[in-house]
Amino acid sequence: MVIDCHAHLTGAHTGVTRIWGKSDAAVLAAAARVGIDVSCASILTTALPAPLEGFRECNRQLAAVTRQHPGTVRGYCYVNPGYTREALQEIRRYVTDHDFMGIKLYNEYKATDPVLYPIVELAIELGVPILYHAGHQHRPVPGQPNISDSGDLAALAARYPEAVLICAHIGGGGDWEWTVKAARAAPNVYLDTSGSVFDSGMVQMAVRVVGAERVLFGCDTSYTAGIGKVRAARLTDEQRALIMGGNMQRILAMRRG
Amino acid sequence: MLIDTHTYIGHWGFRPLPWRSTDGLLRAMDEHGIDQAWVASASAILYRNTHAGNEELHAEVRHHRDRLTPFAVINPTYADWEHDLAVCQEEFGCRGVRLFPPYHRYALADAACRELVAAASARGMVISVPHWVEDDRERSWLLTQPGIVPVEDMAELARAFPDSRFVFHSGLGFSSTALGEKGGVQADYGLDIARLTVFVREELPTLLAWLGPERLIFGSGMPFTSVDVPLFKLEVLDVPAEAQEDIRWRNAERLLAGSG
Repeated sequence: MVIDCHAHLTGAHTGVTRIWGKSDAAVLAAAARVGIDVSCASILTTALPAPLEGFRECNRQLAAVTRQHPGTVRGYCYVNPGYTREALQEIRRYVTDHDFMGIKLYNEYKATDPVLYPIVELAIELGVPILYHAGHQHRPVPGQPNISDSGDLAALAARYPEAVLICAHIGGGGDWEWTVKAARAAPNVYLDTSGSVFDSGMVQMAVRVVGAERVLFGCDTSYTAGIGKVRAARLTDEQRALIMGGNMQRILAMRRG
Repeated sequence: MLIDTHTYIGHWGFRPLPWRSTDGLLRAMDEHGIDQAWVASASAILYRNTHAGNEELHAEVRHHRDRLTPFAVINPTYADWEHDLAVCQEEFGCRGVRLFPPYHRYALADAACRELVAAASARGMVISVPHWVEDDRERSWLLTQPGIVPVEDMAELARAFPDSRFVFHSGLGFSSTALGEKGGVQADYGLDIARLTVFVREELPTLLAWLGPERLIFGSGMPFTSVDVPLFKLEVLDVPAEAQEDIRWRNAERLLAGSG
């Protein structure tokens, strides 16, 4: 089974949600065309930092999409951790009542900010992963002063060794060698292969440094780059199976209750 | 038949590439069913004197001319580039020139660049311009300027030389320039498919619809980037077999015809 650990959808085009492609149907058709069986997806707000009503609308929309595509689309609950009480309510509600599989965090706060602690503690209680937008550049990232990198995620992971943290898109733009190395000593940080960058050796280095058990196939809507870069990596059949879905199946099975 | 119009041998100063010599390139071509490749020196991008890279390229490629077509890397702001260009074409058999303006501190609109394009075109050489060789967001702290050639600048250059032949590599956003308009540029040109999106933003199907298949060529950027990605684009692209052949090799062959 091929599982895209990092997908995005839009829901209804209301202006609140960020638009990816012509329609969700077109995006999901693309996923199917490249051989993806399950898309673990979030819907993000156009407005950043995400306003309370914005991320609530995203999750409402995503719940509708998951109902339309049972088994094919699994939902990440997107929240802005700054709204602590409401974010916790949102996560519990969507994981418990709407079968969402994880939590999506963007760039509102660095992963080392204490505002994250209650979110991570709830993720551990529910047994769901957190997909964390991340990247490391050697100069400030325009418009993203609080973007996290894998080093920040490793620090958060050290504080919460039971948490499952997915460091988003090693191919999302940035020094991916730095990203891979900074995650090495954090056993509960997983690396997602997604993003438009398909430099030679990227996936192979991730496997060599953190092990195939901690590398997750993802696209972040870059479907041909997503598939192509894993194809390019020299891997055993067992490693490839883990990356393309085996690891994510293991993570999904950690769900409590 | 498959021609990869965008490949390299040599070193890169900021990370190890999977190969440095023709042996590695030819092995990768064999593994991926690529018959011929247009190749330039990666080392020359960062060398002060790019011609040293052209000499290394010539030493590597000279015995594999049946499959490898050398492209010279020329910096038009460096001493004696006119002589280097002549040597590359007349002695080394280079069929094109590959330009790296951000690394050599000039812009495509600069007079020095226009002089080089005119001189290379007069020799019948193809002008090759990569949008970038690595994603600019991974740029080393040593490089203070973005390593990007804007696609708008590519379009302007092509407009300024209607009798020249151009190949533009690893770009995105052509559909919003004259290069994406049918008849928008009189020069003959090819856009490689390496980073054109098949799905979601759908730039590759859009360009196919607007321009027809004759402006699209296969190029990978290897060994900087993985050839498996553009190959996968060909695999999932919904086009007739004839158009596939145009993209795989016919357009590249047309562009190269008459050069060198």
